[in-house]
Order: sequence, then structure tokens, then C-alpha cells
Amino acid sequence: MIDAPTPDALEAHIGDLRAAVRRAIASGDREAARVLRSRLRQAEEAWDRAVLGSPGPPEEAPRGLVPVREQVHQALTLLEVPAAPRLISSVYAAFFPGEIPNARLTSLRRDEERSFRTAPYARPFYLCAALTADLLSPARGLLTVSTWPAARRVVGPLSARTDFLTAAIRLAEHAGRGETGDPGVQRLLWRFAANIPGAAEGSVGTVDPAVLAGAARAELDVHQEADRRERDRAAERALARLDDAGRLFGNRLRAVRRAAGESDTEIER
Amino acid sequence: MMHDSDMQRLRGGATPRNHDARTIAALTANPGCARRGVMDAAGVDKDAVARRLGFPAPFGQSQFAITRGNAFEAQVKADGCAELLTLLRDRLGLDVPEVAYDDLEVVGGNESREVRHARTRRLVERALGGEGTLFDHPLLRLEIAGQTAYLEPDVIAFQLGGRFHIIEIKSFAVIDGQAEPEQVAAAARQSAVYVLALRRLLEELGADPGRVSHEVFLVCPENFSNRPAATPLDVRPQLAVLERQLARLTRVDQIVGGLPDDLTFDLEDAALPEAVRTVDARYAPECMATCEMAFFCRDEARACGATATLGKAVRDDLGGVDAIGTALALADGSLTPSADLAETAERLRTAARLRREALAAATAAGGPATAESAYAVIPATA
Repeated sequence: MIDAPTPDALEAHIGDLRAAVRRAIASGDREAARVLRSRLRQAEEAWDRAVLGSPGPPEEAPRGLVPVREQVHQALTLLEVPAAPRLISSVYAAFFPGEIPNARLTSLRRDEERSFRTAPYARPFYLCAALTADLLSPARGLLTVSTWPAARRVVGPLSARTDFLTAAIRLAEHAGRGETGDPGVQRLLWRFAANIPGAAEGSVGTVDPAVLAGAARAELDVHQEADRRERDRAAERALARLDDAGRLFGNRLRAVRRAAGESDTEIER
Repeated sequence: MMHDSDMQRLRGGATPRNHDARTIAALTANPGCARRGVMDAAGVDKDAVARRLGFPAPFGQSQFAITRGNAFEAQVKADGCAELLTLLRDRLGLDVPEVAYDDLEVVGGNESREVRHARTRRLVERALGGEGTLFDHPLLRLEIAGQTAYLEPDVIAFQLGGRFHIIEIKSFAVIDGQAEPEQVAAAARQSAVYVLALRRLLEELGADPGRVSHEVFLVCPENFSNRPAATPLDVRPQLAVLERQLARLTRVDQIVGGLPDDLTFDLEDAALPEAVRTVDARYAPECMATCEMAFFCRDEARACGATATLGKAVRDDLGGVDAIGTALALADGSLTPSADLAETAERLRTAARLRREALAAATAAGGPATAESAYAVIPATA
């Protein structure tokens, strides 16, 4: 804890901390940078108190209290379907306090995979890939939760649509239970309603969650059976053929990539 | 067919440049240019040659345009192409059960082109049997003068009424049903390349190439919003030009046959400028938008006062008169035209007389004798 008495001493301390943060970032030590950054913030607050007088109203829930993987887990638990980072962060922004820093989402899946491979099942859940139904390889840009049933974590050709509709139903139901007038929630629901037949009955930009859920269910009925069959079959195959890590993070065509990479070297676009 | 060793020699031992849809489409823009034809057929890195000659092409697509294009494409394709599906259902009557979406950008965590093309091929084969609707970033192949070019339809081939359609997502706006004609034309040329490549694929699979529609769908932002709108575009004219050009490309060997045996575009060769000049170019201002060599050719055309630097229309109007100096001499009567140029010379003299009269009238009236007002007379008469 920093408790420097004079503003001058505080300023010098703030300067030192700033330099230390820069050094830590330059050397790639993110953990140290984060610690230093929070000490810097405290020092700046102390300076505020010393120079500007009494502190203002306490700030809302301090950012960064909930780890990113928890935030993503909360959003995915609400959605109950494999989702792209963009959807995950807009769901979190609409229904939870705070935001998910976008930059952290990109490396999340790789970090989780590394963590699982070094110490399998050490955590209660892992954020992992959705698997494509045909090759059981990681689907581009979709996140899932390891505790979900395997069939839900596999995506076939129809799954993009059924998951979109299921997400619409889940979000509409969740919104229907709480405050529906919130502009963030309305914007999110509109994204779904605008692209589901019969869901956007009212004026442009406003969505009745019940109508949205009804319309989504109606279209879901058309696709669900075929999609479920495909996913179940693929999930059985995944259980039979892949090891634990493969089931969670997918099967990669590594050998092919290496072989193809050699003949590919002269090509650039 | 051009000989491999000839091509190798022309490239100066460098690895061949691969064609993409843009360069293939550009081939059709200036069919008469032997320089471009030879260099493209041999797979010469024109950008490197131009830089070596001291005429680097400072263009390349703007980074902002690329970012904007990618963002719009991502928006249209988000959530299993949700926005695109809505568009196709509303505008083109796509059936509700047709929602299948296959991502071909990565196959099994693998982005190699062979793997992606193989998968595209398999899925297209399956689609012929009625399975699958939207294919995100398929990878097609087209043989260009003995070289394989991989083409990635910016977008998707989908099945509507048993036919494949190419969908091209572009980020330029369609305002009140109108888009900039040049951009639409470029998109049409590019899409035509994809249509052709997909037709070749169907032929290879033993299916009727006519199942690929000549109608492509252009998806652009509507008016001043970010909402996508689909416009059907008939690319039959572009297809015809393209097929003719590709057939012509394989006859490049005739042009090469007329060139010196030791000609090479080797970057290290001190005689590179002479080597490039050996092959005739057909410069037009439009080249600036499509060809890396344009700055060199423009400089060359200006140096010899070629009429083409004034634009294709002027060049065509002055058929047979290649140099601006000759045209001016014919106009003021200091050069006596040969019989075949008599008509052109007559029109030039008329134009010159009208210009003199207009200038004289303007000066007499005391008004400013601007060059524009005088020139404005010429196109109407010449």
C-alpha cells in the first residue's frame, strides 16, 4: 500500500510506476504489468485525494474483478450454444455488468488448451472449441464449455442456424424475465429479430421478447430434427475416436498441413 | 502452348507469380496489350519489374478499404450468414429449410490450398445431389496458360432452385438503386472469373456446367446504412470476354515466337528496360487502375507523344495517327496526309478551324478565352 504524504513525493512515485509498467510490458511480463498498473492506480487516487480533496462517489464494480474466462462462461451458460467471441461479448455487455476485453478473447482458447494439456481436469470447466461434425476438428471462431454434452459441442451444416435460433430463444426468455426496455438488450435482440421471419412485427428496432421467442421456435422446428441427428452421430464418433483433449479441443490435420506447407512455400498472396 | 523453358527464361529463373481473380479480371480490361499478355503468361512479377525500372506502382488497395470490406463481410456472414439468409429469403425466395452453412476457410484447422480445394470439390459434388446451401470461402481452381490459379470467391456459392450462384460481398454503397458503374463493372468481371472456375469444376465432376448461373448476386450496403442489399448481376458479357481472353492467352506463344530468343525479364539484368520495351504495350489511362506496369508504360507513351495517353476515345477517333505531334501537324496543314489518313486529317483540320474561330470570337467578345470553352467544341465535331 502506498501512503506518500506530499503531492510531490506522490508524483515522483507515479512517474516511477509508469516507467515500471512500460518496462514490464516491453519485456512481455503481463502479470507484473497488471500488478504495477493497479499500484499506479492506487497512487493516482492517493494523489487525487491529496490534491483535489475528498474522494468522489465510489466507482461501480471495479473492472477486471471477474476473470475473462468466468465472464465468457457466464455468457455461454446463458446462451447454451456454441458462440462466436463477438456474440459472447455483446451478450455479456447487455446482461452483465462490465465488458469483456476483446483482445483477451482471441488467445483464450489456446490458453485453455495449454492449461488442460498440462494438468487435465484441474479446473471445474474449460472453455473449448466446437468440433465440426465431419472432421471433428475445431470449428473456426466458436467457443463452448467443456461441461456441455458432446452433441451440443459438435456443429454440423445446419447447426449455425439452429444455434442462432436457440440463442434467440434463450436471450428472449432471459430478457422477458427482467428489464426489456434496456437499449443494450433491445439492440441485441434486434440483431436476432431482424433475421428471423416473423420476429420483427413491431416498429423498427423494438422487439417483443415473446414474439421473438415464438418466431424462433417456429423456424427451429423446421431444422431441429435433422440437425440433432447429425450432431448425435458426430458426437458418438468423437467419443469413440478421440482422446480427452481431442474431444475438447478438436482433432487437427497436422501432418497434412506440414506436407502441404512444403509445396506451398513459394506462394504468397 | 508456350514452352516451359521459354517461360522460365522470361522470368529470369524467378518463381512464377500466381494469378488471382483480380489479375485474371484485369486481363480482360486491355486485351490488346502484348506486354501484359507475355508477362502475365510467363508469371513475371510485374510489380518487382516496375520497381526495378524506377516506376513503382504506389497503389495497392487502401488499408481502410480492406478493413471496411472485411468488417462488412463479417457482418453479413455473422451467425451462420444470418443477414445473408434473410436477404436471400426476402428477395430471392430461398426456402426456409435451406439454411445449411459450410465453412471452407479452414479445413480441420488447416488452411492449405490443396486441402481446401479438395474439400470444396467434395462439397460441390455433394451439393449436386441437393445437399448444402451456403459455402463460405470455397477455393476454386482455374488453369491460366498452364498455371494453376487458386480463386477464393470472396464469398459463397449457394444453391437456389438447383443452380449455383456466386455471391459477391462488396462494401461500396448502392444508393437509391445506383452504385458507381466502375466498381460494379469490376465486381462483375471478378465474379465472372468465379463463375467460370465453378463451371470448370462442374465439368470436371461430369456435371452440366450450365448449373452455375450466369447471374451473380452483389451484396452491398444499402443507401447510407450498413444494411445489406442484394442486386442480381448478369455477367454473360464479362464471361464471353473472359473466355475469349483465356483462349487468346494460350496463343501468347505466337507473340513470344516473334521476340528475340534471348529475351529475359531477369531483375538483375542491366538490359531490363530494353527487354521490356521490346514487347509492345498498349497503354491507356485505364491501365493505371489495373496494371503494375502502368507508370512505366505511361512514361513511355508520353515520351513518344502517343495519342493513347489522351484516352481510349481519342486514340480510336484518331485511328492510324499514333503520335500527338503528327495529329497537330495534320491539323495545321504542315503535314500532307497519305490517302488512308485523308479523312482523319480533314476532321482534324475542321476541329482546328473551329477552335480558332471559337477563340477569336471569345477574344472579340471580350470574354475570357478559356481553353475549356474552345476544346468543348472539338468532341462534337471531330
